[in-house]
Amino acid sequence: MNHTLRIQLSSVEGAVIRALGLIERRGYSLNKCSVSESDGTGREMEVSVTSTRPGDLLKRQLERLHDVYHVELIPAVISNPNKPGARPITRKGALQ
Amino acid sequence: MNASTHIAPELRSGSQILIRALEGNGVKQIFGYPGGTIMPVYDALVGSSMKHYLCRHEQGAALAADAYGRVTRKAGVCMATSGPGATNLVTGIANAFMDSVPVVVITGQVPTALQGTDAFQEVDIFGITLPIVKHSYIVRNVADIPRIVNEAFALAEGGRPGPVLIDFPKDISAGMGEVADCQPVARPVARFPEAGLLQAASDVLAKARRPLIIAGGGIAISDSVDVFREFAARTGIPVSTTLKGLGVIPTDDPCFVGMLGMHGNGAANHAVQNCDVLMVIGARFDDRATGKLSQFAPSARIIHLDIDPAEISKLRKADVAIVSELAPALEGIQPARKASASWCGQCAGWKKEFAWRYDAPAKGIYAPKLLRDLSRARPEGMTITCDVGQHQMWVAQHCRFTDPLEHISSGGLGTMGYGLPAAIGAKVAKPEATVVCVSGDGSIMMNVQELATVKRYGIDIKILLFDNSALGLVRQWQELFFDGNYSEVDLSDNPDFSVVANAFGIQSMAIEQPEEVSDAIDWLLNSEGAALLHVKIDPMENVWPLVPPGKPNHKMMKSNPAKGR
Repeated sequence: MNHTLRIQLSSVEGAVIRALGLIERRGYSLNKCSVSESDGTGREMEVSVTSTRPGDLLKRQLERLHDVYHVELIPAVISNPNKPGARPITRKGALQ
Repeated sequence: MNASTHIAPELRSGSQILIRALEGNGVKQIFGYPGGTIMPVYDALVGSSMKHYLCRHEQGAALAADAYGRVTRKAGVCMATSGPGATNLVTGIANAFMDSVPVVVITGQVPTALQGTDAFQEVDIFGITLPIVKHSYIVRNVADIPRIVNEAFALAEGGRPGPVLIDFPKDISAGMGEVADCQPVARPVARFPEAGLLQAASDVLAKARRPLIIAGGGIAISDSVDVFREFAARTGIPVSTTLKGLGVIPTDDPCFVGMLGMHGNGAANHAVQNCDVLMVIGARFDDRATGKLSQFAPSARIIHLDIDPAEISKLRKADVAIVSELAPALEGIQPARKASASWCGQCAGWKKEFAWRYDAPAKGIYAPKLLRDLSRARPEGMTITCDVGQHQMWVAQHCRFTDPLEHISSGGLGTMGYGLPAAIGAKVAKPEATVVCVSGDGSIMMNVQELATVKRYGIDIKILLFDNSALGLVRQWQELFFDGNYSEVDLSDNPDFSVVANAFGIQSMAIEQPEEVSDAIDWLLNSEGAALLHVKIDPMENVWPLVPPGKPNHKMMKSNPAKGR
């Protein structure tokens, strides 16, 4: 399932990499990303991700970040599970 | 977040400003270890009102700060230099992150001009810790220090708590600036529940025939224990807890059905699998609690209360989700009728059926029985810090807790080596408490150097060391799930732990016969100052019950089918 999110965030050091790191570590494969200066003090980031996990959960996880001001989940238009980068996310770990 | 009031600026070093900001946030104790780039801060520390505890490894400092944060609900503070000092903190930071513990971490960093040049003792600790902090900062201007420190404490302690890291390049900590102190900032605005959702939850509970509560660590974190107990008494709903929820009601309360999950009590796991409404309060559906998720509480509607919106429907869809402070939510949920007597009776029946037994034939000392006797010997006001492994599960199963802060255990991260520094942090935070560290022969060696910290500061903790000459829980899994192919779990060449304790200046006693237990517990609890009791137990003893990996909670193993014990 593809999701597109528009993220308003602070322009402080580390804000972009913190958000991008969260996206991948939480099980969302990053397909597209653009970052631009937005009006005022912040930045705007638009990402397209693929995951078996829901988009609104990622939205809430991003909203927890202190640097993130606002996240908008843009309704999906196209869903193509064969798209490169689409990989299933599974829980793996020791003693599981 | 804005500072509200300022006092007049004066010319000070970044380190002096940092120390003043820590004092301004009420910090009384710091756990740390000095080194190159943090030296300006240690220079400014001399003469401050804060007491610094020199731990003997940065991991010990971070884990002590974690336990201090759990016990006080105020941020524990730890400090280390750049490079290896900072990386040694990482396990402690992750531990605090996984268990939502308020900690403020201060690291030295190489001077700004050298950052990115692979300078001596340079690591990108900001980058390394990004996934395991609630927030983090690199200080770029002396003028920013008061604001950053104040924000760090507000973030660490507010909402769902967590660790916050502040990385201080040496040119900033040594640099001078005319900077005013500022007052600590307000904590995040409390979230209150929506009336409609409270009504929805009340309605679901009123219609429930078999309601059950799973109480998690969030109840203690949010200081909602009293409100929770009032809610449980008012609704009569049976209560199971997670590992971190133990003690939210006394573990000998008739309404308590036990801890659920992999090593939970059979009564709790059967109640969860049979309930029709499950009210999950300040808990997050961890895999060790749920077993096979798709078969967890299969016929239950879920009411989920949590302060963190990102926990809602993360693993199990909530039918009613209330994102709020727990206390007002619990006060506002008022089901029209109490839980049915027949359901409570069924839970009581399971409790009887699955009650722990201590009469099984065991070779030598039976650790669960010893832990039960320990609880009986000191029924009030004992704080137990745990390491990780079989003994940790035995503590959760067999010790009596009347408050969640009596049980300090590394839940989410499962950090071997937590117990000893955690006991230090807990005792420093709560000097009047009897603090017992329950450890194992594997775990104790992970941070054994902290015995020196115990000795140096005369920290009166009691160490109960179970020694089965093995990495017991891994050995148990190899026995059960890897055909007894024991791989790297033998510790039969352990040092003599009594002698180790003595070498650090700590008194010790060793026992291996059941008839020695009573006197030994008495000795441990009543000896003056720190003491270590070394208890040899059967290397083949297992933790029962056990929910095998990939199985639902009610498919518990009660013994090894191959040998019947």
